[in-house]
Amino acid sequence: MNSAKAPEMGGLGSFEEQVMLAVIRTGADAYGMSVRRELERVTRRSVTIGSVYITLDRLEAKGLVTSKRTAAGTDSPSRRVFSVTSAGAKALSETRAARDRLWDGINLQPFLREV
Amino acid sequence: MEHEPQRDNRAPEPLTGVAAWLFRALLPIAERDEVLEDLAAERAQRAATQGRLSARFWLWRQLFGSLPALVRRAWWRGWTGFEPTANRLNYGGFAMETWIMDLRFSARRLVNRPVYTLLAVLTLALGVGGTAAIFSIVRALLLDPLPVEREEQVGVLWMDGSWTEQEFLHFRPDFPGFQRMAAYMHGDQTLEVDRQPLRMVRGISASAELFDVLGARPFIGRTFQKGEDVVGAAPVAVLSHGLWQELGGDPSIFGRQLRLGGESRTVVGVMPPGFWFPSPTIRVWTAARLKPDDQDGNWTLIGRIEEGRTIEGMAGPLRAFASELKQRFTYLPDWDKTRAPAIRSLRDYIVGDVRTGLFATLGAMGAILLIACVNVAALMLGQVSSRSTELAVRSALGAARRRLVQQLVCESLLLGLLAAIAGAAVATAAFRTLLRVLPLGTLADAARVDWTLFAAAIGFALLAALLVAVVPAGALWRSRLQGSLATARTSGLSSRGGRLEGGLVVAQIALAVLLVAGAGLLLRSVANLRSVDIGIRVDSVAVIDATMPVQLSSDERLRAVLDILPALEALPGVRAVAAALKLPLRGSGHNFGIGIVGKPDLEKSTTAFRTVTVNYLAAMGIKVVRGRGFIPTDRLSTSRVVVVNEALAAKYFPGEDPIGRVLQTFDDRGERIIGVVANVAEQDLTDGPVPARYMLYEHVPIFVPATSFVLAGQRPEDVPRLLDSGRQVIQREGRALAIERTLSMASIFEDAVGVPGRVAVLLSLLAGLAMALGAVGVYGVISHSVTRRKRDYGIRLALGLPPRRVASHVLGRGLRLVGLGSLIGIGAALMLTRLLATLLYGVRATDPQVLAGAVMTLVIAGIVACFIPAWRASRTNLMSVLRDE
Repeated sequence: MNSAKAPEMGGLGSFEEQVMLAVIRTGADAYGMSVRRELERVTRRSVTIGSVYITLDRLEAKGLVTSKRTAAGTDSPSRRVFSVTSAGAKALSETRAARDRLWDGINLQPFLREV
Repeated sequence: MEHEPQRDNRAPEPLTGVAAWLFRALLPIAERDEVLEDLAAERAQRAATQGRLSARFWLWRQLFGSLPALVRRAWWRGWTGFEPTANRLNYGGFAMETWIMDLRFSARRLVNRPVYTLLAVLTLALGVGGTAAIFSIVRALLLDPLPVEREEQVGVLWMDGSWTEQEFLHFRPDFPGFQRMAAYMHGDQTLEVDRQPLRMVRGISASAELFDVLGARPFIGRTFQKGEDVVGAAPVAVLSHGLWQELGGDPSIFGRQLRLGGESRTVVGVMPPGFWFPSPTIRVWTAARLKPDDQDGNWTLIGRIEEGRTIEGMAGPLRAFASELKQRFTYLPDWDKTRAPAIRSLRDYIVGDVRTGLFATLGAMGAILLIACVNVAALMLGQVSSRSTELAVRSALGAARRRLVQQLVCESLLLGLLAAIAGAAVATAAFRTLLRVLPLGTLADAARVDWTLFAAAIGFALLAALLVAVVPAGALWRSRLQGSLATARTSGLSSRGGRLEGGLVVAQIALAVLLVAGAGLLLRSVANLRSVDIGIRVDSVAVIDATMPVQLSSDERLRAVLDILPALEALPGVRAVAAALKLPLRGSGHNFGIGIVGKPDLEKSTTAFRTVTVNYLAAMGIKVVRGRGFIPTDRLSTSRVVVVNEALAAKYFPGEDPIGRVLQTFDDRGERIIGVVANVAEQDLTDGPVPARYMLYEHVPIFVPATSFVLAGQRPEDVPRLLDSGRQVIQREGRALAIERTLSMASIFEDAVGVPGRVAVLLSLLAGLAMALGAVGVYGVISHSVTRRKRDYGIRLALGLPPRRVASHVLGRGLRLVGLGSLIGIGAALMLTRLLATLLYGVRATDPQVLAGAVMTLVIAGIVACFIPAWRASRTNLMSVLRDE
């Protein structure tokens, strides 16, 4: 069974970017449910646990995040916690740079006035 | 940045019910507990802050929102084989993952072994296709409900086709044991439509209760009413849906007049699509004209029995009926109807005759499918044992036996799916062939290719695939996988596997020998039938059956026939043209009593009587052996003439010269014998010579409104052209003639060969299939055994054994299998071929030549099948074998 493939360079999907940022924001204890909560809190949109897990799996397969198992505690089960890899961080900054280039020189005022 | 839920000192209520079950099912094992706990915790927190209802709503939104993503994830994991390191110690989850993985693996294996895959798929497809086709036919004809309400309450009385109007009308008010009884008989009608040639429509003439007995309701209008079936009532008719559509499909046809059988009938109704009675070719039902004193017995009685009775329980009422019959009517001992009263259920009456043939074919096809499954199972067994090292390694690495068997089942299902697709194509072709070849008569029209055929193909293919997997899976389950690792180096053979495979192939060969023997017997019978001397030319004669309106008088019928002959004779390429009321090889009938001037003590007897035109003998190629045939001046002469055949001369004038003697058929004037002709098969092919006599149309009254035109050409290739131009001439100029069918004398001959001929074709097809499958089986086993013994052969060849010794050793093993199978097959053939006895002609069921031929055929097939493996074995290169290890 193969896990990590060679990391892909270039643009991340929008939700992939959001999940990776949420993993970073959540910090040390970034398990599926906590990532989901952070994402929901910041984007103010409802997020399902299934979509978070499938995205995390694909990101891990691409080598952009990694996961490990914590030991089970007295009142908490063993959890799979995620963290962003250096390849993932690189992908994030490239995506951000591409987005900045797209935003460069954009003035939204004329469009906002029409509303 | 972390937002932990407010920790309650109590543990949150765990998830239960459908939500918990669905999540458990879709999550990987390693993540189940943590996700469910987290969901429970968050639900508890939301319940505390936003209320229980809101919390429950949130949970269900999570569930439904996550379902597609979790299913996609399971599929993707299966497809890519991804398993995160974090879950490695606790892998696994949704069963779909492993199934998808196994399907991909199996697909790769099949693609990498094209010969095995092709062999397995084609083998299964042949079996699946044939079985699906015959199953479809059986379902349509035997299992589908008839277009009759509660058909188990409807039955047909014994002596069908022999009841008189007098008998029916006498008992009409009250048939003991029946709610209602109807009578019907054949009543084909000519149909005249403006500006179209006269055409023939199959129909029946029926009493008014018929549709009530059947419980059939009309699509448009009504069915017959009481009183419409007596003399003097206005003639009415009910049309089939198909005929109504042909006539324009006009909903206002109710009440319109149609010229049927030369008179105007009012159309009172149209039946719904899918309704047919008593056969799918009947397209019009006309109300009969029943006369209370009519004693012509042509009617069939069909009735609906009383509520609460069953067909089986009708013995009592039928006996009562029979005794009442006896009291009211007198019967001669030879024609006593009251002797054995009986009733047949409607289904039995309509399909009873074909039932055995259909079930026999279904059984045979099922056997073929079984052979195919056995074949593929053997092929798979071969694969399993040649993978024994790989499987042992997998098992040592931790693969559960269940998982290995699951992979086998996946491979088998994939083969089944491919076989279903190929099998559907085979099924369509087989369906059409079977319809033509089986003796179904007019019922064949009720069976059509439809989606159920393909559903059947898929169903049988999947069933076959599962069956196929059973034996190899069982072998895999039981085998000592680790043990085979130890023996791999020394090339140990799993002898148990080899025996099982060999046993399966021996069984196939036995079945194949049985079928080939049966086919051989039938083919010889057919050859014998075909070589019967029938006394007529068959190969270049075209036949057009025509019918006339029943209202025509005898003179009008005569004119209708004679007036069209010159136009037919003028067609290019015609050698001779004639007409006859009844042609040879069309069964018995048209027998008249014979009287001979000068033999007053002659016992009452009948001979076959044929009404013909002047060129008949020349057109049919009948040889005149004494005296002369008919000449044109005979037609106009007032003294009647007759031609007799040798059998009649031998029977009635033994040792005398019949020329010049006078026979009496219709009156004392009689007819003079002018010639004797060779015997012709006037009735059935196997009847032997029957006495027959021939008279001209001009000299006899024409009793029946039908006639057959015979156009003799120069060569067999002329027949289609003659039929075409003959048909056009009759449609254009024969105003009182409606064409019933066009065919050739050759096809009449084929029909006369009849059931043995058709079954011979069928059995030959099956035998060919069985033989091909048997050869595949032998190839599979021998090829596999050669692969396993590669090392042995390599060493022996290196040590100096001549290659042909190796080849003959392989061949010998194959022939031993074939020999053992043939022995068993011959034993089965000796016991079972007597079931064919009724179909055999001129050959015994245990004919030694045929049995020997069957064995020889299988031996040759076996040799061909072993050829490649034997050649491969003799060319084994020891160095490459050792290198491979």
